[in-house]
Amino acid sequence: MRRGLISWSRDEVPPSVLDRRVARFQEKIRAEKLDAVLVYTSFARPSAVAWLTHFVPYWNEALLVVQPSGAPVLLAAFSKRVHDWIRSVSHLGDVRSAPDLGRAAVNLLEERLPKPSSIGILELDALPWSVAEPIANSRYGGGLVDATGLFASIRQPADEVEIRLARRAAAIAVQAFKAIPTGAKRASELLSALERSARLGGAEEVLPRIAPDLRAGTTLCRLEGDALLGERYAVELSVAYKATWVRITRCVSTQAVPPSWRAAADRFVETAGRLNEANLSLEPQVAGSARPGKTAAWTLETCRGSPPLSIVATGEAPSPSALPGGSLACLSLQLELDDGPWLGGEPLILGSRGQPSRLLI
Amino acid sequence: MAEEGIDVLVVAGNPWRSDYLRFAADITPVEGHAFALIEREGPARIIVEHPAEAARLRSEQAELDVRWSLSAIEETETAIRELGRRRIAIAPLAAAPYRLAMGPLVATIAPATALLDRLMLRKSPSEIAAFRRAAVLADEGYAVFLKAARVGRPEYALVAEVEAFFRSRGCPENFQILGSGGREVRGMHPPGERRIAAGDLVTTELTPCVDGYYAQICRTLVLGEPSEAHERAFSVYNEALEAGIAAVRPGATAGDVARAQNEVFRRHGLGDYVTSEYTRVRGHGLGLYVDARPALLEDVALKLEPDMTLIVHPNTYHPEVGYFVHGDSVRVTADGCEVLTKTPRRLFSAPLT
Repeated sequence: MRRGLISWSRDEVPPSVLDRRVARFQEKIRAEKLDAVLVYTSFARPSAVAWLTHFVPYWNEALLVVQPSGAPVLLAAFSKRVHDWIRSVSHLGDVRSAPDLGRAAVNLLEERLPKPSSIGILELDALPWSVAEPIANSRYGGGLVDATGLFASIRQPADEVEIRLARRAAAIAVQAFKAIPTGAKRASELLSALERSARLGGAEEVLPRIAPDLRAGTTLCRLEGDALLGERYAVELSVAYKATWVRITRCVSTQAVPPSWRAAADRFVETAGRLNEANLSLEPQVAGSARPGKTAAWTLETCRGSPPLSIVATGEAPSPSALPGGSLACLSLQLELDDGPWLGGEPLILGSRGQPSRLLI
Repeated sequence: MAEEGIDVLVVAGNPWRSDYLRFAADITPVEGHAFALIEREGPARIIVEHPAEAARLRSEQAELDVRWSLSAIEETETAIRELGRRRIAIAPLAAAPYRLAMGPLVATIAPATALLDRLMLRKSPSEIAAFRRAAVLADEGYAVFLKAARVGRPEYALVAEVEAFFRSRGCPENFQILGSGGREVRGMHPPGERRIAAGDLVTTELTPCVDGYYAQICRTLVLGEPSEAHERAFSVYNEALEAGIAAVRPGATAGDVARAQNEVFRRHGLGDYVTSEYTRVRGHGLGLYVDARPALLEDVALKLEPDMTLIVHPNTYHPEVGYFVHGDSVRVTADGCEVLTKTPRRLFSAPLT
């Protein structure tokens, strides 16, 4: 559940920016001749609605109804008492109470679209059964269209506002890494320090995963309970600030930082720089590169639908999907060095064709 | 599954609704969709959306067959097709995706949400043990919250202190909302930037998760000395909480527990404030989901049984002081209930300096 800071600063995210995003979406809706698009949100899949309206559900679920013109309407399965809070943190035309989201969507469509209509749904395949059933069984059921590609086509590249939020999220994460106690012996000590720092820094959410002993394994774990920290460990911190997510991974050594790690970090920067919209692959390495180690795994992730981050390219799947230059993305890389594994991850702005990517921080 | 004639149960989940997956396959998704294909015998097959999630789940349970796919829903659909003519069921309604539940395979898959709902209501001894540990942590978490509540601190700083404490105790998850202010406050919400001030009522609903199981505590504190109005309000909520807890016993309905609390408000002339205009529920089930069945509402006829776990909370708006919360986690016993949260039932006061 989201339990970090949720608030809306009109200076950080001006209403005009949200209006422009909705207008671009509506342009596409009109071009596709859709009568409305439904966008589902829960705290597990908050990002599309948050990008359009700044609304992030701390729990529960909602459905945003966007028509070719006019302000979006939020059907919210929250108690009516929460509506004032919803209005205070988001930019919406209307908020309606909708304990049964699917039924409420049908009612709204009947009110606004009495004639046979074509209804787009973002990530139609993934719409929860409870929400989908009343819609699919209504008279609009025959005209449902998957609007995933439509939304993705406008979602990236990132605008300046989103990049600023991402920088703030990254700064929160970096500060949290600095808060790790030098002599931490147990995962619980460092997780506590990370959470405290990140949440006091204004994080909306923090998802830490940890490989507590790199000599025993590189799997990033969600710990229930505790674990002893090895001499070398890795922490992946995914931080949201005002609905914008970044993922940063760092290795920590309780001894002096191994020289191989400095070289690995240089290799990360070089590798990230090579990525651009025409090249979403990490291989092959630059000929003659003196950088150490072998790539064991990597992922490039971005936000282009309702999940905060989803995979664009990875070493474990053959074909990357397209991503335009200027997109906000996160690169995670695992190297096998002569003296053991190394993990790193940073957010970046993807380069345009022929241009290098820029690390965000 | 054998009793219901199910050969393979497909259970869906995500970070928002991970409860059914945790119950059926002991996994908790952190990101993306996750699906478990569970046969009557043999290990479950798990399909997730991210290679890191797959690696994590493999490390947690080596015997699981975990694979990942960028199209986890399609991959699961393919796996279901490959099961041929076996009897397949899917759950839950809240998380199973449209394509699996209502897509091309709809004629061959039966719904199984009700089956799992029944199984998840009454807790096993090991589930109760986890719930007890969560209740202890809820009490300790409230003590941290109480200490953190000081004039001038923003709401989110209070939650940061509680979260840091929970992580220090190995607790990965917590549901927490709060409210601060006076009569203008109508409910609770995630923490904002408001700085708490002298005379504020500060409410919180704090719900740590231990081994997957949530226990909850609700308390209200005043910044500074409580006024007579605060004390009067507290006595009503305390009476309602005690009445609700007294009504929890096997055979009573969820509605009985709600009614017992609401009658107290009605007797005090506050009947308007137990309607949906001012409050949601008078408590609810707890377990692998923070807002589990049954909802404690007067029209809910579900009968309580031993080893169900609940929060009883007469939380609602009070016209003199604003939104007020007060609640404890309980386990239904053979002849009543056991209250598992032990924080004293009083109106707490935090010092102004």
